[in-house]
Amino acid sequence: MTDGSFRASDVTKSYDDGKTFANDRLTLHVEPGEVYGLLGPNGAGKTTLVKQAIGLLKPDSGTISLGPHDLIDDPDAARQLCSYLPQAQMPINSFKAHEAIKITGMIRGGSAAAVATRRDELIDALDIGEWRDTLGTKLSGGVKRLVGFAMVAVWPGRLVILDEPTNDVDPLRRRLLWDQVRRLGDEGVAVFLVTHNVLEAEKSVDRLAIIDEGRIFAEGTPSSLKLADRGRLRLQLMLVPRSATPELPAFVEDHTRVRNNLIAVIPEAEAAHGIGWAQELMGSGIAEEYALGATTLEDVYVRLTGDIAAKEPASS
Amino acid sequence: MTAPAIPALRTGPGYWWHSFVMMTRWEIVGLRLLLPITVFVQVLTGAGFVLGVGLFFGQVPPRAALFLSTGVIVITLATVGLVLGPQLIAAQKAEQTYDFIWSLPVPRSTAAAAWIVTNTIIAVPGMVMALVVANWRYDIDLRVSTLIIPGALLTLYTATMLGYAIAHTIKQPMLINLITQVTIFALTGFSPVNFPKEQLPGWLAALNEFLPLLHMANVMRAGLTDGIVSGLGRSYVVLGIWAVVATMVTAFVLRRRA
Repeated sequence: MTDGSFRASDVTKSYDDGKTFANDRLTLHVEPGEVYGLLGPNGAGKTTLVKQAIGLLKPDSGTISLGPHDLIDDPDAARQLCSYLPQAQMPINSFKAHEAIKITGMIRGGSAAAVATRRDELIDALDIGEWRDTLGTKLSGGVKRLVGFAMVAVWPGRLVILDEPTNDVDPLRRRLLWDQVRRLGDEGVAVFLVTHNVLEAEKSVDRLAIIDEGRIFAEGTPSSLKLADRGRLRLQLMLVPRSATPELPAFVEDHTRVRNNLIAVIPEAEAAHGIGWAQELMGSGIAEEYALGATTLEDVYVRLTGDIAAKEPASS
Repeated sequence: MTAPAIPALRTGPGYWWHSFVMMTRWEIVGLRLLLPITVFVQVLTGAGFVLGVGLFFGQVPPRAALFLSTGVIVITLATVGLVLGPQLIAAQKAEQTYDFIWSLPVPRSTAAAAWIVTNTIIAVPGMVMALVVANWRYDIDLRVSTLIIPGALLTLYTATMLGYAIAHTIKQPMLINLITQVTIFALTGFSPVNFPKEQLPGWLAALNEFLPLLHMANVMRAGLTDGIVSGLGRSYVVLGIWAVVATMVTAFVLRRRA
């Protein structure tokens, strides 16, 4: 295969002498220009897969390749072709923001002039110009994260791996960051995005996979994954703190409860009944507010990765 | 959309040199906040050790003074490689920045070479200062020759690679720090660096023949004195073997990828 796509095939990685599977026969591919999201809860095996792609861990079995390069046999190729933003903060305490970005770009093989131009574009695009000359030790977590993204994007290679890139970033700059993620795709880079932020991912990815316990449960475009939920609505109720879950009407097809937040999935045809029920709960002092809307990727995600409510203590 | 083709991988001496220069820059800028204080501490340690022993014993015989002064700089060099390096890598592991640094697209050897250059910058001022102070305080008979250059380079290289091997092999940052503390203790107390090996119990002297520190002291001392070092060739061989083993262990560990 010399098409430039990133492919993981049957990747298996176990710990504790094969008792725990962090990755269990994972297979996926990311095309050049595509933004691919890997979504899953903590401990699902996302970061383990990433570390194998970048040559920091070795799988028990399976293959990982980028175009003609076998990234497992050739970790040097993996490091040259893949640029990696880890979940942890970057080690840039004694770097000025602009230095960190430029040195990383030059380490990645860019010429000084080309890297400087691209760095300045990124600093503008991410709106972090006021911290350009600030030492890393004085940067807030969110700005440090944006500088980290710029370090990775300034000379990106063929695959950019982003592990929770928007952590700590303020809402306005998050949008700017997602624009730049899209731009990487537009320039032909394959982007592999690891996150548990489902709603943000829904807007930014071309395709995604939902992973839990080391296995892929579903894969497709955001719309295709929501297809099964077509014709349904989500009725979200904010219950009075510490109240018991009210009795559910027969038209509620599914529900999850996380703390005071009760989400009921109902058929579109029952919208009026749903609103009536919600108003009744508010009238009787069980609920404080409600919202009715289309089902989101988060609903799909929760359905596939298991009922979070089941993992919460009862009557919490 | 047609995607850009996968670029050819960078290889060859030009790639190595560029990576080495950039990693050296990365290390030096990365230590910007620590470098002045680290150099200062090295200078203080070297000079302080020289003076402190003199205070402790009052009158130091000339031969002992010469041993002590030339031994102190071995300790300053070895401390940088065997203690400072591993502690910084332990910090990378504790702060979880290790993965990013070791995912940078450079030959591993350039990261090591950059670190050796950085260590030299950290160690040399302390080494020179210790010698100046020793010369002033004890009026020792220093005979500096060009042998100091290979001696100091091999000592720094071996100490740095041993530190690297320890730090990369052991996963737990706490354990890395513990081992480096024990190393520095053994270094100052039980190795014939500051005193002739004849002053150690026979078995410990024999053991030291196979350990690197005695030989680091020999190769350094040979470049600073005249007529008190014997078996210099053997010291270079033993130290060379340690250097090769430490390099191979580090290369193996970095390739292993658990």
